[in-house]
Amino acid sequence: MLKKLLPPLIPFVVVTLTLEWMVRAGVVAGYLVPAPSAVFRALLDNRDELAAAMAKTSAGALVGFALSTLSGIVIAVLLSSSRVIQKSFYPYAVFFQTVPIIAIAPLLVIWFGYGMKTVIASAFIVSIFPVIANTLQGLLSTDPALRDLFRLYGASSTVTLVKLRFPAALPQILTGLRVASGLAVIGAIVGEFIGGAGLGSVVDVARTQQRVDKVFAAVLLASVLGLGLFGLINLISTVTLRRWHASEQETI
Amino acid sequence: MTRRCFCAACAAGTLFASCGKPASNQKTLRLALNWKPDPQFGGFYAAPYRKQGLDVEILPGGAGTPTVQMIGAGSAEFGIVSADELVVARARGNDVVALFAVFQNCPQGIMAHASRHLTSVGDVVKEGTLAIQRGLPYARILEKKYGFDHVKVVPSPGGDISAFLRDEKFAQQCFVMSEPLQARHAGAEVTVFPVADIGYNPYTTVLATSSAQLKSDPKSAAAMVAAVREGWRAYLNDPESTNKKMHDLNPSMDAAAFAEVAEAQKPFIECAQLGAMTAERWTTLIGQLKDLGDIPRAMPAQDCFRVL
Amino acid sequence: MSDSPIASVERGVALRLEGVRRVFDNQLVVIDDFNLSIDAGEFLAVLGPSGCGKSTLLRMIAGLSPPDAGRIVTDPPVFQTAFVFQDAHLLPWRSVLDNAALPLELMGVAREERYSKTHAALKQVGLEDAEARYPSQLSGGMRMRVSLARALVTEPRLLLMDEPFAALDEITRFHLEVQLRELWKLRGMTVIFVTHSISEAAFLANRAIVLARRKGNIKLDRKLELPVERSNSLRSDPRLGEEMNRLMSAMEEE
Repeated sequence: MLKKLLPPLIPFVVVTLTLEWMVRAGVVAGYLVPAPSAVFRALLDNRDELAAAMAKTSAGALVGFALSTLSGIVIAVLLSSSRVIQKSFYPYAVFFQTVPIIAIAPLLVIWFGYGMKTVIASAFIVSIFPVIANTLQGLLSTDPALRDLFRLYGASSTVTLVKLRFPAALPQILTGLRVASGLAVIGAIVGEFIGGAGLGSVVDVARTQQRVDKVFAAVLLASVLGLGLFGLINLISTVTLRRWHASEQETI
Repeated sequence: MTRRCFCAACAAGTLFASCGKPASNQKTLRLALNWKPDPQFGGFYAAPYRKQGLDVEILPGGAGTPTVQMIGAGSAEFGIVSADELVVARARGNDVVALFAVFQNCPQGIMAHASRHLTSVGDVVKEGTLAIQRGLPYARILEKKYGFDHVKVVPSPGGDISAFLRDEKFAQQCFVMSEPLQARHAGAEVTVFPVADIGYNPYTTVLATSSAQLKSDPKSAAAMVAAVREGWRAYLNDPESTNKKMHDLNPSMDAAAFAEVAEAQKPFIECAQLGAMTAERWTTLIGQLKDLGDIPRAMPAQDCFRVL
Repeated sequence: MSDSPIASVERGVALRLEGVRRVFDNQLVVIDDFNLSIDAGEFLAVLGPSGCGKSTLLRMIAGLSPPDAGRIVTDPPVFQTAFVFQDAHLLPWRSVLDNAALPLELMGVAREERYSKTHAALKQVGLEDAEARYPSQLSGGMRMRVSLARALVTEPRLLLMDEPFAALDEITRFHLEVQLRELWKLRGMTVIFVTHSISEAAFLANRAIVLARRKGNIKLDRKLELPVERSNSLRSDPRLGEEMNRLMSAMEEE
């Protein structure tokens, strides 16, 4: 266990110590970049507020991510079913990728009001595209020989989708989910800037108060959330791909 | 340190080797605004910088532009901040000082629908939704005084009144001469409660600079204040041409609105000597911020501002 | 009349290709005016250079792509076909057992019957001990054997093979060739075996055709004069060498 944690832990420790020294020595202004010790203290001093905020952001990000996973996969399945459908509608899926969420967040408030719904909507919009793109890619990359095999034995397109195309696309789908998980957290926080509550709100208010230490503490927690989601996807990937995909197998 | 040494150090440290030369030099001074160009900055756009031998570049801002940090970090030589923001910055170790206060009285307020027949600012928090920047000192004074248990607090939409227009029970933070006028144009009658009503009245739209900048080039700072004072005088007398310039930079507000706001803001700005500040006002502010817990200890008012 | 040892008229398929034509992209004529009769239970090897249309022919016979002209008549008209590719093309997320059972699963056969048939097929290719393993744990030769078992599990009357052993090492190849021949003798289905390898064609088949480089014209159609029993000892038999020479000259002449 320690073997796995040590490699990423060392750069973290080095950077933290360097930053601490830089702020104490006056190389970097403490009001621009807080010393890690100040961030840690802010985490402790505000732990109740931060814990509650993190719970809210987690809920928003998780629900938004779950929705974008489900919808993204369904949309990709539909797009993969015919060339015509794909050509007609895929460009609109790209819209989700390119729309600047900051610009449409106020619109979200109009439609969903202040609160969790806006946060979920924001997380959803920001994270859905990678799911669609990767899932579609996976579904379109099915081995043609295997498709022939399924045809030979009279399998319907639904059966082929469920028993061949979808499992074959799983590694690609999981890649999409990995990217989407972090984006869902970002989306939730942006939604919170506009809609209130959660870590986004903590960051916004602390920023107004010039409490950089608290800002960084909240940002740190947001990163932990993102890491957590990412780790969850990795876990799912390990369990489902362990027996057959090179990515999850030990190289000899 | 000899002059030559000082200059060598400057040249090594910055791109502008302007130390030792007279004040009328080629160094571009950047003035960072904390919002888009609108009448609250009129005097800055009208100021005759060239006449004072200055080359000034105005950097328009928007939501969340961190002007006080920009000054501290050196990405702008001058910036527009609010007085409370400046005090807090000083408490955090950012050595910035105020030079000129445009708004002698704080034009911030809370606007509510007139149909609610509210009589005091305390009524606003009895029900409905209140959109404010919760981190601002006035918001916390409000919370301390009246409590937010019965009102839903949401982030301020920053100049956008669409949520306000849609919901009768929606009240929001505003600039007294800005959003209420917009609302009236949209057909909504409003009641406005100035923040000063709860006894909180910091100088607003304050021209500030860093101590370091002031020390290294005091002549330019003095010239800047002179130019700005002249500019505000000119703008108050006749805002039309400057409004046109600003409208070109910020088309989101139409020409008629520019004229209206320029007129409505006059009472907040006009005084015996434009931009002047007193130690007493600063002391009051510092005391209030200490009581709120925004700063750990009081500081001398004289540290916060300079008369140039 | 075929010369396979078992009465395979009931277990094989007779085919007749008449004037078959296939064009790609409206320009490239891959197969043109192709005529061929295959008896039930025959083991036919198809030889030819790359790009001569052997695989296309196979796919048309399998019903995977229809001919642009001409027809393919079969007796019986409806029957079970199996296809073995050059790559084993197993589903990596399924065990050996579930891979081999796939055709029966797709055809809706009930679980118990499905698995008992699959056990039998895997036994025939010698993989009964590897049923729980996954394709990533198998060697190339073992994977091909799973593919073979998968092909046999539906007891097909027509077995189409497109260079199935090309990617394997020689020893494994020899082994599988002998096994395939045994299975054919046992079951009596019609086998059409496309290959690059003259020695493989000669060893396995009782009839071989050589296709020309373009349009799939048949340059040689020969009943191989070789014993019914084919064991590895045949490989050094001069008779095999003679047949191979005939095939080789046909392939070399333009």
